[in-house]
Amino acid sequence: MSEPNTPEVPQGEVPVGPYVYDLAASPQRQIVLPKTAPVPSLATYKAEVIAQAAADEAKWQKQLADFEIAKAKAEAEGKDAPKAPVRAVPRKDDNDLKTPWPVEATDPDLLKLQALLGDRVEEVFQQAGELVCQVKKEAILDALRLCRDEVDLRYEMLADASATHYPVGKDFAFSVVYHLTSISRRKRLRLRILIPEGFVPASACEVYPSANWMEREIYDMLGIRFANHPDMTRILCPEDWEGYPLRKEYPTVGWGQRDIDFREDRGGVLNRIAMTTAGQLGINLKQPKAD
Amino acid sequence: MFKNEEMEINLGPQHPSTHGVLRVKLRLDGETVVSCKPVIGYLHRGVEKICENKTYFQGQVWTDRMDYVASISNNLGWAEGVEKLFGIEVPRRAKYIRTLLTEQNRLASHLLWLATHALDIGAMTVFLYAFREREYLLDLFEAFCGARLTTTAFRIGGLREDLPPGFIKQAQVFQDRFLDCVDEYETLLTENRIWKKRTIGVARLNAEDCIALGVTGPVLRAAGVPYDIRKTFPYAAYAEMDFEIPTRTEADTYARYLVRLAEMRQSHRIIQQCLDGLPEGPVMAKIPKILKSEVNEIYHAIEAPKGELGYYFVGEKGGTMPYRMHVRAPSFVNLQALPKMVEGRLLADVIAAIGTLDVVLGEIDR
Repeated sequence: MSEPNTPEVPQGEVPVGPYVYDLAASPQRQIVLPKTAPVPSLATYKAEVIAQAAADEAKWQKQLADFEIAKAKAEAEGKDAPKAPVRAVPRKDDNDLKTPWPVEATDPDLLKLQALLGDRVEEVFQQAGELVCQVKKEAILDALRLCRDEVDLRYEMLADASATHYPVGKDFAFSVVYHLTSISRRKRLRLRILIPEGFVPASACEVYPSANWMEREIYDMLGIRFANHPDMTRILCPEDWEGYPLRKEYPTVGWGQRDIDFREDRGGVLNRIAMTTAGQLGINLKQPKAD
Repeated sequence: MFKNEEMEINLGPQHPSTHGVLRVKLRLDGETVVSCKPVIGYLHRGVEKICENKTYFQGQVWTDRMDYVASISNNLGWAEGVEKLFGIEVPRRAKYIRTLLTEQNRLASHLLWLATHALDIGAMTVFLYAFREREYLLDLFEAFCGARLTTTAFRIGGLREDLPPGFIKQAQVFQDRFLDCVDEYETLLTENRIWKKRTIGVARLNAEDCIALGVTGPVLRAAGVPYDIRKTFPYAAYAEMDFEIPTRTEADTYARYLVRLAEMRQSHRIIQQCLDGLPEGPVMAKIPKILKSEVNEIYHAIEAPKGELGYYFVGEKGGTMPYRMHVRAPSFVNLQALPKMVEGRLLADVIAAIGTLDVVLGEIDR
């Protein structure tokens, strides 16, 4: 006669694994590469808008044609005419979102920059009140120097430099952005270059010394090297770190220490503890959970 | 008999005066610093990578863990950055409460700086006085959002809750007392001969170097440049506030101390204006349950207690998570100036320089 509170331990054959969490199959471990390369751009946006309008128009024409056919059919069969189609109006959401779309550049700074750099400027536009200027990848140092020294521009400070990985970009793999601040004129400007894998852009350290650590961070996180940088070494990760963490193909669960797999537990200690706990909780590990 | 070799020593990463896990490689000639190289990364957790795999609502929790003594400022930067990305307009009352809490957080951050910086230099008395007031502020944060340091105070689109009952009364009690407390710290330090000897002329960084090295915040203002994002690019409710930007021209540790104390007085003014002019109304905008972004990139910077705190977001079409998130941490950029400040100076000044930069390693390493 056992004590009333003693839990029943299942007798007989001990079930085998796998009943531990499979790390290799965990969702964080799976690398899902992005499907698009979201580089904000006025030209792309315009093309999208035109394509969307054309698609809407085509859909509407098809609806009209279908209606004509259905009407003719109904008349031939002597039935009531079908309802005329109504053109769908885009639904207006009841919320306070005012999505900032890219608009044409009207700011004098961007126009000035475009006039000075000529065909080395790839695109200028404004979005969410921010000035964006995309230049050719070889011309970035000239553009930065111009922004700092030109009397009408005077962007004295490099506030931030950063980069983004676009694994599915067509002829580029990274974008590098420089956020410039003009303290005297109260303005901000973003310079952007798109570079392919392996391209070595010129370092901005010569123009803006503050780029030193920012570019080291970009190199550490994304693996973009900069030419003529005084100290192109890793900054946040250890020197012997493998891979570049902010690339999209880098998983969020690391290799190595996190891979403590219960199946490596040769002595079976952990398995036995897990079994006992499961038995005490009255869980039958052999039975798959009913859906 | 006498050796003339240079000696290489490591300051940190387990040294109390480095405020965390900062390691500084120093080459010394006697007591003079020949070269100085900060080594960072001991607290790197990959916040940017993590936030790229979290939704816009979840990511804010990670901003608390960056600058953990001024987490409300970080929350504000995140929330406003995401609002800019989506084009959300926040109600006016929410803006006021955000401004109020951010300024109180600035006080808390400056008080912690004052306490530890004075402790590093050797003025131990200030520590407990400063912590007394900071404790009161942390209690107020706890009343508002249930946490003292890792606050996650705001939501995208406004606030989760209005101010709790009695908050304004308690904040007013603090307001009535605080200016006297600042005077108290000043009596302990401002005319203190030892304090002046240890700070005047120490760790100078002139305006040109500050701007070239990207240094912002009180360090830049102590060099005579009145650059404060609250005035230059106003956000939250700062456009409606009446306050001044304190500046000095000496550009040394003592000037930065005076600038920060003056900033505390200005913060007190802003808080008073928020409390007096708190508008009525809702605290949350109408936003969809799931935020899906368009292709867009934004850079939103706010004036954190340490300097310019910028968030860079890249949005993907239909994405619920940021395609790319980057933080421009003020301490990260400010720490670059450390070699310039200490090379050719004495070893003991390195401690003062680290203290006066007011670095937080959680934000540098991210």
